[in-house]
Amino acid sequence: MNLSMLKPGEKGRITKIGAIGPLKRRLMDMGVLVGEEIKVEKIAPLGDPIEVTIKNYNLSFRKKEAEGISVEVAK
Amino acid sequence: MSQTVVSRQSSVGSQVSERKTITVAVAGNPNSGKSTLINAIVGTRLHVGNWPGVTVEKKEAMLEYEGRKIKFVDLPGAYSLSPYTQEEIIARDYLVHEKPDVIIDIVDATNLERNLYLTVQMMELGIPIVIALNIYDEAEKKGYKIDTKAMEEALGVRVIPTVSTKKKGLDDLLKAIIEVADAIPSHLPNQLNYGQDIEDASSALQMQIKNAYPALAEKYPLRWLSFKLMEGDDHVYKEINIAGNGLPVRDVINHLKKAHGDDIESIMADARYAQATGLTHEVLKKPEFRKIDLTEKIDRVVLNRFLGIPIFLAAMWVVFKLVFDVSTPFIDWVDEMMAGPFPRWAEAILGVIHAPAWTVSLATDGVIAGVGFVLVFVPIIFAMMFAVTFLEGSGYMARAAFVMDRAMHAMGLHGKSFIPMLLGFGCNVPSIYATRTLENPKDKVLTALIVPLMSCGARLPVYVLFIGAFFAARAGTVIWSLYVLGIAMAVVMGVIFKRTLFKGEAPMFIMELPPYRMPSFRSLMIHTWEKGRHFLIKAGTYILAVSILIWFLLNLPWGVEHKKDSFLGQAGQVVAPVFEPLGFGNWEAASALITGVIAKEIVVGTMGEIYIPGALEEEEGETPTLGEDLKEIGTSFIGAFKGAVVNVFSSVGVVSLAAGEDEPGPMRTAMQKAFTPLSAFAFMVFTLLYMPCVIVMIALRHEFVTWRWSVIAFLYLMILAWVVTFVVYQGGRLLGFE
Repeated sequence: MNLSMLKPGEKGRITKIGAIGPLKRRLMDMGVLVGEEIKVEKIAPLGDPIEVTIKNYNLSFRKKEAEGISVEVAK
Repeated sequence: MSQTVVSRQSSVGSQVSERKTITVAVAGNPNSGKSTLINAIVGTRLHVGNWPGVTVEKKEAMLEYEGRKIKFVDLPGAYSLSPYTQEEIIARDYLVHEKPDVIIDIVDATNLERNLYLTVQMMELGIPIVIALNIYDEAEKKGYKIDTKAMEEALGVRVIPTVSTKKKGLDDLLKAIIEVADAIPSHLPNQLNYGQDIEDASSALQMQIKNAYPALAEKYPLRWLSFKLMEGDDHVYKEINIAGNGLPVRDVINHLKKAHGDDIESIMADARYAQATGLTHEVLKKPEFRKIDLTEKIDRVVLNRFLGIPIFLAAMWVVFKLVFDVSTPFIDWVDEMMAGPFPRWAEAILGVIHAPAWTVSLATDGVIAGVGFVLVFVPIIFAMMFAVTFLEGSGYMARAAFVMDRAMHAMGLHGKSFIPMLLGFGCNVPSIYATRTLENPKDKVLTALIVPLMSCGARLPVYVLFIGAFFAARAGTVIWSLYVLGIAMAVVMGVIFKRTLFKGEAPMFIMELPPYRMPSFRSLMIHTWEKGRHFLIKAGTYILAVSILIWFLLNLPWGVEHKKDSFLGQAGQVVAPVFEPLGFGNWEAASALITGVIAKEIVVGTMGEIYIPGALEEEEGETPTLGEDLKEIGTSFIGAFKGAVVNVFSSVGVVSLAAGEDEPGPMRTAMQKAFTPLSAFAFMVFTLLYMPCVIVMIALRHEFVTWRWSVIAFLYLMILAWVVTFVVYQGGRLLGFE
């Protein structure tokens, strides 16, 4: 299960971040860390990118990045 | 603590000169209100320059406060001190190498946890820190309770609540800075504990560095250096120029990996965030139930699946209309001054001192016309920078990028590229400046290179002239086809550049959607003023020089009678054969295109002068007196204001096609003799695509520090223009057009 599969309004807990290199570091700097709860807020009108809430603020990135973030659906 | 301040104040007076200037670095996350806070403290005293070798703005200011000189250095907004964006590298290099006396860390009180992540990293540097807990009013409104005392204790730094938009807390902040700077021993932040494993590893490394490389230990904050070595930071390894062989880095890393089973970067990010998170839980009390805030409500509409794009387009329409409609009356006003009173005065003054006739021509057609070209751009640049700063400061820019990213990404661009490109239809010059809203330098350059393909307002008069003479019946279609051609070429070039010049660039779109906020008017004005002033000084000089050069080209050799024999005419004759395959290989067209380098609408003026010499001269009426002139300038300026206001509220189209005045009959006849409909269309295509005007090239130079991108833009556009026009003309002939 990865983040791009979540629908707007759904929450997940991050289990693994697969993106390699600078992007991974960037995501981590922005608070996208293993164990963190992440909620998909919106998908852009043209289908990409997505908006998520993490650490109490709003962040957006492309679906390609979201595919690299493994999540388990939070109850 | 406040007592020490008081006692110092009293003893300060005579010692001011001996006391050293306090250097303060201002750091913080983007959207933390950093620039507003700086503006609130130092106002217009900011000196804007560039960080060496890069296009990122460097702002500095000197302030005297309670007898002390404080130098502020505004670091670029950064989320982290990782070496992955230009901004972060600049911020961190400054902190590590320049070692400011104090860091003001601007922390957004409504977004404590992520902001403290940067704080935690800066605390590794061993530099005194004062936290400005900014946007404090909004946090209070949300019902947040922040225990600043507990925060001070946990971090070992002063924490001052501030509201930069309302200038609250600034005195306390400045006092704290002086206090911390003067503290003996230094008021250093606490050393946060990153966990036994990391701390042991760091201590071991620090010991080794001290023993093996004492010079490094002098130069770098050791704790920070040890972490960077562990993280495998390329930038630092390159800088210290040791392979790390002599250091047990590998052992340390392996040990940590064994214990944590992850890569070191993740371990470090986790450890630092753990501190930020822990502290946030400790000091921040949030209300039980979270109210749906304004940002959420607005975004439900603005980012809606169906409404998102229409709203975006409507917003862009408003911006476009505001920028160009507000500035047009002022542009006309400047134009009028440059056409009437100023040349008249110059003539009068030169007449009084009996200067030769050519100096009058140089002064009016060269110098004043050149100054006019510069000034004409000032209103539009002011209006445009105001609009862009507002979009950015309010938080809408990020939403625009979010909505448009998919479409722009297909062209290899970033969502934020759309706005500069759209504004390019009005004028390419402010568009180049607007590319600074893009964070990634490559995206910025790519967008700026493509912007000149957007058919700007200055090309319109050329179209109007030719369409009037050749395509009067199909005017709309012809103009439309030119705009579409420009956009199509932008798409093609975007894809080509992405695959050549910017090959292998990792796409980066990780963007915060900050809460909507009303930017302070003061801050908006300061930004706008800075940009406008910069443009005036930098671009002005070059444009003036080019304008004077063109005058000489048109009027040399001395006493030249016919324009064909002037240097410009001669140059036109030399260049003309190049345009032969494009359908307009005559010296008249070539000369007109050469003068078009100043601004594309000049093509029209030059053609007028060549085809019907003297016809465009103004009819001499009664010369107004100086008083009448001054009065006229004043009233027409007020008129311009009224016009701007009327334009904003009028519902007339986006750009008025006011250029449609009838060209004089003889001009039309002359042109119909010189061009066929097909070659006229080819000429318009060439005008659309060929080199951007000098002002765009200067803006490129100005924005990207080197001439490199100006040269690349010049070359690619020249080649593109020739090839496309060739295809259009020769293709048209094959299809039987004439």
